[in-house]
Amino acid sequence: MVSTEVKRSKSYFIDEYIARLEKGDALLDDTPQNLVEVVGILKSYGVVLDAYSVNLCYIADTQFLKLFPFFKYFNGDVNTKKFLKFLWHDRINYEYAEYCMKAMFWHGGGGLDAYVDTPEFAAATEELIKAYFKYNPLMIGLHKAFKDFLPEQMRQMAYYSGLGQFWRVMSDIFINLSDSYDRGEIKCIPDVVKFILDGLVADAARPITYTVKVRDQEYDILPKSAGLTFLMDTGVPYVEAVFFRGTPFRGTVSYNAQAYEISYDLGMFNYGALYADPLPIGGAGIPPTLLMQDMRHFLPDYLQDIYRQNVRGEGDIRIQICESFQKSMFCVTTAAVQGLAPHPLNTEDSEEQMANRKYLKGWLNRILESQILKVNNQKTAEVS
Amino acid sequence: MTDFLLENSWIIPIYSLVGALLTLPWSLGIIRKTGPRPAAYLNIVMTLVAFVHSSIIFKLIWTRPAQQFIFHWLQVADLDLVLSIELSPVSFGAMELVTGISLLVQIYALGYMEKDWSLARFFALMGFFEAALVGLALSDSLLLSYCLLEALTLSTYLLVGFWYAQPLVVTAARDAFLTKRVGDIVLLMGIVALSNYGEGLNFSELDTWVEGHQLDPTVAALLGLALIAGPIGKCAQFPLNLWLDEAMEGPNPAGIMRNSIVVSAGAYVLIKLEPATTLSPISADALIIIGTVTAIGTSLMAIAQIDIKRALSHSSSAYLGLVFIAVGLRQVDIAFLLLFTHAIAKALLFMSAGSVILTSNNQNVTEMGGLWSRMPATGMSFVVGSAGLIGFAPLGMFWTYQRWFSGSWDVDWWLLLLVMFVNALSAINLTRLFRVIFMGEPQIKTRRAPEVPWQMAVPMVALTVVTLITTFTPIKWPLWLSPNTPLSLEQPELINQYAIPLLIVSGALGCVIGLTIRVRQAWARSSNIAVRFVQDLLAYDFYIEKLYEVTVIAAVSGLSKLTSWVDRYVVDGVVNLVSLATIFSSNALKYNVSGQSQFYLATIVIGVGLLLWSMLHGQWSIVTNYWSSIM
Amino acid sequence: MLSALILIPFLAAAIVGLTPLKGTICRNIALVTAVTTLGINIVLGFQFDFQHPGWQFAQDVPWIEWIGLNYHLGIDGLSFPLLLLNSLLTLIAIISTSQGIQRPRLYYAMLLLLSGGAAGAFLAQDLLLFFLFYELEIVPLYFLIAIWGGAKKGYAAMKFLLYTALSGILVLASFLGLVWLTGESTFDYQTLREHTLPLGSQLFLLAPLLIGVFIKIPIFPFHTWLPDAHVEASTPISVLLAGVLLKLGTYALLRFGVGLFLEGWVYLAPWLAVLASISALYGASCAIAQTDMKKVVAYSSIAHMAYILLAASASTRLSMTAAVFQMVSHGLISAFLFLLVGMVYKKTGSRDVNYLRGLLNPERGLPVTGGMMILGVMASSGLPGMVGFISEFLVFRGSIAIFPIPTLLCMVGTGLTAVYFLLVINKVFFGRLTVGLPKIPPVKWKEHAPAFVLLLLIFAFGLKPDWVTHWSEVQAIALLTGG
Repeated sequence: MVSTEVKRSKSYFIDEYIARLEKGDALLDDTPQNLVEVVGILKSYGVVLDAYSVNLCYIADTQFLKLFPFFKYFNGDVNTKKFLKFLWHDRINYEYAEYCMKAMFWHGGGGLDAYVDTPEFAAATEELIKAYFKYNPLMIGLHKAFKDFLPEQMRQMAYYSGLGQFWRVMSDIFINLSDSYDRGEIKCIPDVVKFILDGLVADAARPITYTVKVRDQEYDILPKSAGLTFLMDTGVPYVEAVFFRGTPFRGTVSYNAQAYEISYDLGMFNYGALYADPLPIGGAGIPPTLLMQDMRHFLPDYLQDIYRQNVRGEGDIRIQICESFQKSMFCVTTAAVQGLAPHPLNTEDSEEQMANRKYLKGWLNRILESQILKVNNQKTAEVS
Repeated sequence: MTDFLLENSWIIPIYSLVGALLTLPWSLGIIRKTGPRPAAYLNIVMTLVAFVHSSIIFKLIWTRPAQQFIFHWLQVADLDLVLSIELSPVSFGAMELVTGISLLVQIYALGYMEKDWSLARFFALMGFFEAALVGLALSDSLLLSYCLLEALTLSTYLLVGFWYAQPLVVTAARDAFLTKRVGDIVLLMGIVALSNYGEGLNFSELDTWVEGHQLDPTVAALLGLALIAGPIGKCAQFPLNLWLDEAMEGPNPAGIMRNSIVVSAGAYVLIKLEPATTLSPISADALIIIGTVTAIGTSLMAIAQIDIKRALSHSSSAYLGLVFIAVGLRQVDIAFLLLFTHAIAKALLFMSAGSVILTSNNQNVTEMGGLWSRMPATGMSFVVGSAGLIGFAPLGMFWTYQRWFSGSWDVDWWLLLLVMFVNALSAINLTRLFRVIFMGEPQIKTRRAPEVPWQMAVPMVALTVVTLITTFTPIKWPLWLSPNTPLSLEQPELINQYAIPLLIVSGALGCVIGLTIRVRQAWARSSNIAVRFVQDLLAYDFYIEKLYEVTVIAAVSGLSKLTSWVDRYVVDGVVNLVSLATIFSSNALKYNVSGQSQFYLATIVIGVGLLLWSMLHGQWSIVTNYWSSIM
Repeated sequence: MLSALILIPFLAAAIVGLTPLKGTICRNIALVTAVTTLGINIVLGFQFDFQHPGWQFAQDVPWIEWIGLNYHLGIDGLSFPLLLLNSLLTLIAIISTSQGIQRPRLYYAMLLLLSGGAAGAFLAQDLLLFFLFYELEIVPLYFLIAIWGGAKKGYAAMKFLLYTALSGILVLASFLGLVWLTGESTFDYQTLREHTLPLGSQLFLLAPLLIGVFIKIPIFPFHTWLPDAHVEASTPISVLLAGVLLKLGTYALLRFGVGLFLEGWVYLAPWLAVLASISALYGASCAIAQTDMKKVVAYSSIAHMAYILLAASASTRLSMTAAVFQMVSHGLISAFLFLLVGMVYKKTGSRDVNYLRGLLNPERGLPVTGGMMILGVMASSGLPGMVGFISEFLVFRGSIAIFPIPTLLCMVGTGLTAVYFLLVINKVFFGRLTVGLPKIPPVKWKEHAPAFVLLLLIFAFGLKPDWVTHWSEVQAIALLTGG
């Protein structure tokens, strides 16, 4: 990695990164170190996502409309040993999956967000609520008094399910990527990007549906007819909500209304995974710590060894994981940028190139505000 | 069994302290592979044990006279420092409140803080916090109470500073500590002086001493003022009120405790200290004046806040202002009722606020709206909490006011006016908040607002029920502290007849104004300069903070820079010069002494000289450089 | 028995210094010596009868008879806590010395010499003997600063040397004058104490003694050597300097100032109380403006040592006990703070309050150091439950009846302690970790062991203050009764 000591302006970097992407390179510098970190971390991320996905789908399918879902993280398998283990907090931090789900739900966007506001969705949930609380007049009464309370819960459940299905695909892609790397098929960062992109494209049109069962009667909350698909209705909103916008961390941003630190416009939010400063990870009020903590248990040995060589060894492993994780997320973002481009990025056609550049400029304007320059060891001028 | 529990009730504060210590393996990072939740569970269990223990004794103690346990802490020279605790319905009532709310808050925190990896540290601090509060409830000794107040100051600092990496937290925690500390140090001065006048520092003894003391009136006035300084800081009263506003940077569960129990703890000490405030009429007057200024000022500040937590926290200061007035008027039973009712209702309001904040990722009320139909527990909590505070709905505060003005206590028209004012403004504030948060159309940040999970909802609902039930406290048990009912006036005066209707009218008026007043839109300001000026004046707390910045803070920092400069360039230089001169002139000494001693002196001087010379050998350059550098 | 406390360190110093041993062996010898002296002190503590005023375990051997010098050692309630503190902090200083220190033989020899010298001064019952130890301890300290110090070590060491040598000369002048005026031919403390000189002579002798010890304590305006010495000295030396060597000054103040010149002392007391409050406020005020963490602690030291002068000048039964307690309390707390600041410096390479940020970061910062630092500054600013509160409370309670205004001013100083320390803590430990700070190596639990011990004592004595007060109560009060 050559660090460029000269400070440059943002427009310079936009041009540089457009050239990079057109050449087929990723946002992240292609170095052997980066490759090991990205693949290694995606491997453990894949494992964690698998657990998250299973749990989100479990909650959506069985814990809907429950006021006291005490064992929602148990995936239906409640026994003393597991209970004690959970009591000792020796478990995956599913709270983080819910945190991402809530962020996605809150920020909205995409077809899923639009669908949960439709009359069809309302009718389906109404029917479900009536059936579920058939013998519970108290809850029906409550539902009458607070007419949006239970539907809102079901909207959230739809997101549980949606994110669960999205992560199912992502988890498989990342684990396959790691297997492919272990077989020696992945040689550089662009290979990683290509692998992810292929995975995304393959499943792009996969339908997102959500059906629950009450007393053997099935209720289609998100029917196939709604036409919700994997990439556009969960993938893109997810990237927007979690990679870019996020929610401000208590540990670094003041919620004080009179301090005006948090924008009114959600579009201006830049607290997402690509922007977050890895250094406070592990401290108070930094939710991604949970994810890093989960990933530390599934690191491949080669990555663990790299981390151990650091001054702090395992002492600051969560920050190191976060740094690698951010790198890997830039690869996923590259794949998304490539996949969503109006035309292939390496096109020779000048009109297509123009359209692509306009598209890329839009992305890069936001991406260059993130940690990418720091990750690539580039310095930007103060005025941008 | 029950006797055993009673005799060992000093252990109740220890429970939560043990809970706090048990979190160390997680908070110190010894256990890193697994998560910190066991620490939280341990603390909740400990709090539950404390709650059960105190509940059992609370039932028991009703039928028994108050008991005192005395512990000789330190006997040195002619001083005997005694710490004592009192077991009485009042102390256990307070303890029930503390452990009960603390239990609910800790369960609530389990939900609110679920994404926070520093959960163990948070619960450690909550445990420590609770231990100090429970101890304060039991304490019958001014010294012990002082120690616990200081422990509260420390834990407030640490809890506000919980999110230590957040820039505003850094200053907020510091300011909270220093502001409270100012009050504490003045209180300590009072305690040292009081102890010096031969007083045993027990609240019970204070009473008799105050009646018989023979102090100079000025000294008595100063002493009285010093003793109320601690509660002024703790209860966020003017001029030490700003920390509470800033402390809202801390986590909300701690904010619940702070606005309900902690401010009350300061007032509880004040109630216990009440005899001392009668040392001189000046200190009693000071209480009334401070209470009045705070009640009016903070009521006004509250209605201009756009931050949900700050709007509620300023209102805490206002109610505590009423408590100060009641104590200043020697109506401690009323003060106690006010504290009790306020604590429960305010805790509920803060819980509701917390769940709004968590759901909408936002504290700015101008960006909220339309939550009512989607968040039943939160919405109901807000309504009941507000009703508990406004003297309009027939809940706790209404009956408390009714007790105050029903003729048992000596009240005046100015007091009625003030209470009406506070009541009306409180009503305006709470209805305004309710309107912008729960009514109207959802805004972008409240568009998706599912109700909070059960860890938060259950404590809210429970406390809602408690708020409704405790309405009976002022009705059935209006007297906690006075042994006898104060004499009812034979002929109810005009004020007693009109007080209640007037209070209801003020509350109703406030609600109407709150419902109709134009509220600020998100990120938009009125174009009218006068309106903006008033808004800003109130929203920024009358610019008191700025005032402190240019006065006290500027003075201290200026003075310190000056002394530092003087130290570096004047004192250092002059003393270096003088000492140099002395070394040489000390030779002159030997001409003044004679005989044997002269010889000794010469030997030593020469000896020391040789010693110095041998040490300096080869280092003369350093010496010369040094002296030339300063001259 | 008592000689052992002096001889063992001296002997060990000789062995370490004069034989060609390896560094680790030197360290081990030093450790064993320190543990032994600490052990002896603890044994003494068990055998000691604290209810009995006056010397115990005394040893009296005429040494150089023709000048009246006797090798006369003894221990009483005033000196015992300080001896214990000395041996404890010596051990802690040795443990906290880095393993790879340069020129270990000389270093450990000097450290042991320093410790033995201080012990000798606390044990000496003979004025001249005290002076000898008082001077003796300067030499090793000079070298410890001058050789193992920071960037401006030469300047700081020289300044220290000149100031304390002057202090010694003044003290000696006072002693000589006393012997001369009483017409005795011995420097024996007890013998001299039986004389009561006229007030004028007392003042004449007290003045140089006071200036001498004021330099040592140090009291405004004679304090300027201390911040320099602290800043340049390495951590273990700062610990000893603050914890033990400054106490020689306050010890002399009580032992000789009050003990020998009671009437003169009482005559001057109002002025001394005023000086104490000035010194306390001045130290606190200077501390606020400092940007070097170590300087903040050093100025805080000046402020807190002034309370001892206040208590001594009030001369009530309570305040005298409190003065001794405050010495112990300050010894523990300032040593603790210097250890922690030393840890920050060792790991980050900086003590600059304007540079360091966010050290509480649990992954890459120094969270445990930070947590203890918070406790340390709370102890220093007199938070109940820790030793700082009760010792200061007793000082104030004992002094307020005699000097109300200076006492209240000193309490303001206590309030300021929180101000300057919190400014430092919130800047250095809160916030985001300094941008561009090189990776901080981790702190092992072992490295924190000395600080843990001190923290434990700070809490223990804070909760059970009578463990300390009963050592010195009888003797401190006895100082107030003439001869």
